[in-house]
Amino acid sequence: MTTYIIRRLLLMIPTLLGITIVVFAISRAAPGDPVSLAMGPGGMMDAQRAADVRAARMRLYGLDKPVYTQFGIWIGRVARLNFGDSIKHHRPVIDLIKERLPITLTLNLISFIIIYAISIPMGILSAVGRKKFLDRVSSVMLLMLWSLPSMWVGQMLIGYLCGPPLNWFPPAGLSSNDAEQFPFFPWLVDRLWHLVLPVFCLTYAGFAYLTKLVRAGMLDNLRADYVRTARAKGLSNWVVIFRHAFRNSIIPVITIMATLLPAMFGGSIIIERIFSVSGMGLLAFEAVTTRDYNVVMGVATIAGFLNLIGLLLADIAYAMVDPRISFESVE
Amino acid sequence: MNGRSGLFKFFLFLFLFVIILLQFLSMVQSDRLYKRLNVLIGRLESAPSAPARRTEKPPADKSSIFQEYPGDEGDWLVRNLEGEPATLCDFLAISEWSSRWIVTGNIFEPMVEYEPDEFKFRGRLAEKFSISDDGLVIYFKLRDNIRFSDGHPVTTDDVIFTFNTITDPNIDAAAYANYFRDVDHYEKINDKEIKFYMKRVYFLSLGYLGGMTIYPEHIYKYKDAREFNERRSNPVGTGPYVFEKWDVGRQIVLRRNENYWGPKPKVKKIVFTFITNTTAELQALLSGQIDYMRPMPDQYAEKVNDENFKEDFHCLSYWDASNTGYFWIGWNEARPFFADRKVRLAMTHIIDREAILKHILRNPEAQIPAGHFYIYGKQCDPNIKPWPYDPEKAKQLLDEAGWVDHDGDGIRDKNGVPFRFKYMICADLALHEQIAKLVKDAAASAGIEVILDPYEWSVFAQKVKDREFDAVSMAWGGNVEEDPYQVWHSSQRQKGSNYVNFNNPQADALIEQARQTLDPDKRNALYHQFNRILHEEQPYTFIYTRPEQRFLAKRFNNVIIHKLGIDEREWYVPKELQKYK
Repeated sequence: MTTYIIRRLLLMIPTLLGITIVVFAISRAAPGDPVSLAMGPGGMMDAQRAADVRAARMRLYGLDKPVYTQFGIWIGRVARLNFGDSIKHHRPVIDLIKERLPITLTLNLISFIIIYAISIPMGILSAVGRKKFLDRVSSVMLLMLWSLPSMWVGQMLIGYLCGPPLNWFPPAGLSSNDAEQFPFFPWLVDRLWHLVLPVFCLTYAGFAYLTKLVRAGMLDNLRADYVRTARAKGLSNWVVIFRHAFRNSIIPVITIMATLLPAMFGGSIIIERIFSVSGMGLLAFEAVTTRDYNVVMGVATIAGFLNLIGLLLADIAYAMVDPRISFESVE
Repeated sequence: MNGRSGLFKFFLFLFLFVIILLQFLSMVQSDRLYKRLNVLIGRLESAPSAPARRTEKPPADKSSIFQEYPGDEGDWLVRNLEGEPATLCDFLAISEWSSRWIVTGNIFEPMVEYEPDEFKFRGRLAEKFSISDDGLVIYFKLRDNIRFSDGHPVTTDDVIFTFNTITDPNIDAAAYANYFRDVDHYEKINDKEIKFYMKRVYFLSLGYLGGMTIYPEHIYKYKDAREFNERRSNPVGTGPYVFEKWDVGRQIVLRRNENYWGPKPKVKKIVFTFITNTTAELQALLSGQIDYMRPMPDQYAEKVNDENFKEDFHCLSYWDASNTGYFWIGWNEARPFFADRKVRLAMTHIIDREAILKHILRNPEAQIPAGHFYIYGKQCDPNIKPWPYDPEKAKQLLDEAGWVDHDGDGIRDKNGVPFRFKYMICADLALHEQIAKLVKDAAASAGIEVILDPYEWSVFAQKVKDREFDAVSMAWGGNVEEDPYQVWHSSQRQKGSNYVNFNNPQADALIEQARQTLDPDKRNALYHQFNRILHEEQPYTFIYTRPEQRFLAKRFNNVIIHKLGIDEREWYVPKELQKYK
């Protein structure tokens, strides 16, 4: 097991290098560069001056060097865990990520907990009452929710629930303007009140997938021999379902949790834009639109790294949850 | 196990590839967002400082800046910005100028600014300012009683520090430093007086130098330029508000500077929020989360006639003289179609601009400009009226120019070339597309085929730079006073902003002469002549210029619309209506 993990960790290095090269190449190949995008197609500056200003700024950002040199400099810095400075913000990329990450994590953690808390019981109920009313209705409902674009739903929710006459929820942000003056509990209520709509938009589409996954696993197991044996032993229905079938069918559910790691980090551009929450998604989006290369590269590298770690964790989790899987045989 | 691991790796790479592909797609897609910035950038590159106008004599110090503001003290103004600024230093070169300046304008002050009701300068930090008769020496004398918010007096050392910082090549302010390239050297006379010596005469120099906001040396002093570039927050200036805090992604809070040297504004705090979704922004206003916003044209057109809305909110529509500008369609004179003045004039006659204002802009106060300058400014010649909508005249002009439908296919042609041209637009703004469609229809009825050629922003900008278009529409930003050199001088045809290849020796001479004429009346007379040439030649069809629009909570009183815009410092909320404490 240990050798396997070490080997996988070593394999990550060339993979990460590959990711960075591809992201680097693509970001440089995209039309425009940070300076010309910031300057527009010339503005009202005369030609010679515009060219000088452009040259000065390119030099300042180190963009005047050949692309491969830039990549060399970048990779050298990253080896020392320094992602460089954002061109737009003039600040270390890592600081920007540190500022945004808690916001995205809060949103995503709550959403994932809700998705799991609702999907798993729903999946079990659907499987137990297969092809019965509840199963059918929940399938249709969840598929309908799944197919609604969150962009549209978010806009509708803001349009109908956030202003007069209803005024149920705040239309933007994560807390009220004067939230600092609140004591703890009103503050918490205020924060939760602000979180309702974005969290709803992040979760509603996620139920379908997980519910179906749990349902399929449960159905497989409910039909299995050991369940029949358990029933034959005279165990009660609930004990059979929860102690036997459910514990076995939860394996895929646990393992896909590992892939959530990068998703937690990524954030949702659409939701963050609609609800004016400035998290990782907006940071990455802004960086891409302004060609803020260092931020793009930083976010992509960290996301890539987390992806790889998540996949590794998924493999390890398989082995841990399911004794039938062992990595030793690879040796 | 090996096979499985191979399959696993395959999926891993596939997954990564998809992620990268999505990244790329989002890069390309998101350029659309940039279209909006286009207009802003065009506007702002031209105007990082107030434009200059020669002052005959320094104004007396009894200027209106010492008048107390009326009304009760207290309450906050919660104002939404269109984006979160990246820094609170007002001259670092970062694209989102406008939202940053809305914040920093409360913290930092320039030496010289415009009178709110007159096209004339007044001193803010400067007690006296003047420009020598030969135009080469600019003199500033700072006021005696001015202090930074931390109590330090403002001296010429701070002016010199600010100037040196902006022009330091390692500071990321090249775009702004460009405005000070005419400065040869400066001379500190004493702690309050300074002279700048210029390399050449230029009518905007006083405004550029005077518009520089002053930074305290004892706080901003740096050894390594990186330090300065990275310092984005905790600004300290002389202004009526001081920085309180910045919750990243949520709000910037300024509180009133209780030690302010001038009359203090009545509103105690300004909170800037960053709601990016325009629907949410309006809902936030309606539910009282924000007090002040800039609506979309559609939102304004809808709410301005809504009596219920107007009971709770001011609908402000005003001409902001530091934010003028116009939308245009440029006809590339390097192309065979538009080399002839008659054809360009015909194009203008074909387009029903009144209809654009009425049905597309839905703004009854928008105007059709007849030239390059701010329509209510002194550079603009009020006697020049825009060409009327007259399709018959257009057809006649096209016939005269030799564009006649010889082969009877419904499209005019000349020397065997059909009149079919590409009209390039930026794909992202619905407004541009709507106008383009109207132009296409109008042209078709006159026997001209227009092919719409939309591109996303970065490609569009590149193509404009490379002059790869027959016709193009864009917007220029403007200011009370403009130097048309960059857009209209023939030297700017290759690489400057003269995209349409406008080449008129008479216009060149007028532009050059006007730049060096310090007397405003003489200079404006030259610009009026230039204006006439533009009108006759129609290198652009000038489509519209429009006022700024704002929604503001009704509890704010003393909201005055000045000739040059609005001044938030005059506002107050009566005690009984105050919302925040």
